[in-house]
Amino acid sequence: MRSKGEILEWVRGVLRREFQFRDEELLPTTRLAEDLDLDSIDAIDIAVRMEEELGVELLESDLKSLRTLEDVVEFVHGRSA
Amino acid sequence: MATSGWAHADSGRAGELLRRLARLSRAARTGIAFAAFGAGGVFFALLVIPALRCLPGSPREREFRCQRLVHLWFRAFVRFMQGLGIHRVETHGAEHLRAPGQLVVANHPTLLDVVMLVAQMPQADCVVKRAAWSNPFMRSVVKAAGYVPNDLGEGLIEACAERLDAGRTLLFFPEGTRSPERGLGPFQRGAAHVALRSGRPILPVFIHCDPPTLKRGQPWYDVPERRFELRIEVGDPIAPAPGAGAGRGAEARRLTAALRGFYEQRLRAVEGAPGARAGAARPAGLDGRPAGD
Repeated sequence: MRSKGEILEWVRGVLRREFQFRDEELLPTTRLAEDLDLDSIDAIDIAVRMEEELGVELLESDLKSLRTLEDVVEFVHGRSA
Repeated sequence: MATSGWAHADSGRAGELLRRLARLSRAARTGIAFAAFGAGGVFFALLVIPALRCLPGSPREREFRCQRLVHLWFRAFVRFMQGLGIHRVETHGAEHLRAPGQLVVANHPTLLDVVMLVAQMPQADCVVKRAAWSNPFMRSVVKAAGYVPNDLGEGLIEACAERLDAGRTLLFFPEGTRSPERGLGPFQRGAAHVALRSGRPILPVFIHCDPPTLKRGQPWYDVPERRFELRIEVGDPIAPAPGAGAGRGAEARRLTAALRGFYEQRLRAVEGAPGARAGAARPAGLDGRPAGD
C-alpha cells in the first residue's frame, strides 16, 4: 500500500506532466479549481491516469468533495486501504 | 452681456432637452424591436417549429432547415433594427463564416452579437447554455436546430469533433456568458479541446460594440447616447500545434491563451483608435475559469 507521501508525489507528477505546472504551484493546500484552474475535462484526464496507474476509480460524483491536492491524496489513500 | 449669457443658457437647455428626447425616442424604438423579437420568438416556437417537424428529411436536413430559418429570422431582425436607426453593422471577412466545417469562436460583448453573428451564418451549430433547454420559448428552437448544450464535458468535445468531421460549422462563445463591463471574461477551454481533438483550426471572430450596450446586467431601456455600431471582424485561423510530450490539458491551455491573445490585441487596437470609448482597455482576468451569468 502506498503512503500518503507517495500518493502526493504521484498527483504532483501527473499535474506536472499533463499540465506543465511547476513544483512550487503544487502544494498540498493548492486548490484544484481556483488555483490550478482545472475543469471537468482535466478531471477526466486525471481520473483515467488514476485508474490506469493506481487502480483507483474516480467517479464524477467524487469530484465535488475534492477541492485540494490533499483531498485527492486522502481520497486515493482511503480507496487503496 | 447678460442677454448673451441667458441666450447661451437657453441654448444649452434646449440642447439637453433634444438629447433627452433623442434618447427617449431610441429607447422607444429599442422597445419596439425587442417586442417584435419576442413576438417572432413566440411565432417561431408555436407555429414554425411544429410545421418544420411535419416536413420530410433526415435529422441533419431538418436541423439545417431550422438553422437556416433562424438565420433568416435574425437577418430580418437585424435589418429591422437598422431601419429603426438603432444600430449599424460593419463586417470584415464574413464570407469565411459561410464555409462548411468551421470552428468559429467569438467574444460576447453584447446580447445582440449572437443575433448579428447567426445572421451571417446560414448553418451554425451553436454551443448554448444548458438553461436554454428548460426555457419554454427557446427549448423547441434549440432542440429543432440541433444546437449543443455546453455542459457535456468530454461528451461535448466528442460531439463537436464529430460534427466538424461531418462538415458542420460550430459556433462557440468561450466566455460562456456576456463579457464583463470592461475587457474579457475568463475563457473556458472547450473550443480549444475541440480543435485539438479534430485537428481543425479555430476561426476567431472579434466583435466590438461602440458605444457598449446590452451588456451583462444592463436593461434594454438603458440605451446609449447615440446609435451603436457593431463591428464583426473574422481573424486569421489559429491552428492547434500539439507539442511533443505535453498532455492535452497543457495544449488546451496554450491554444486558449493564443486565442485570448488575439482578442486582447484586437481590443487594444480598437479601443486605442480615435473615436473609441476611453479607458475601456484593461488587463484581462485569468483564463479558463467557468463563468456564471
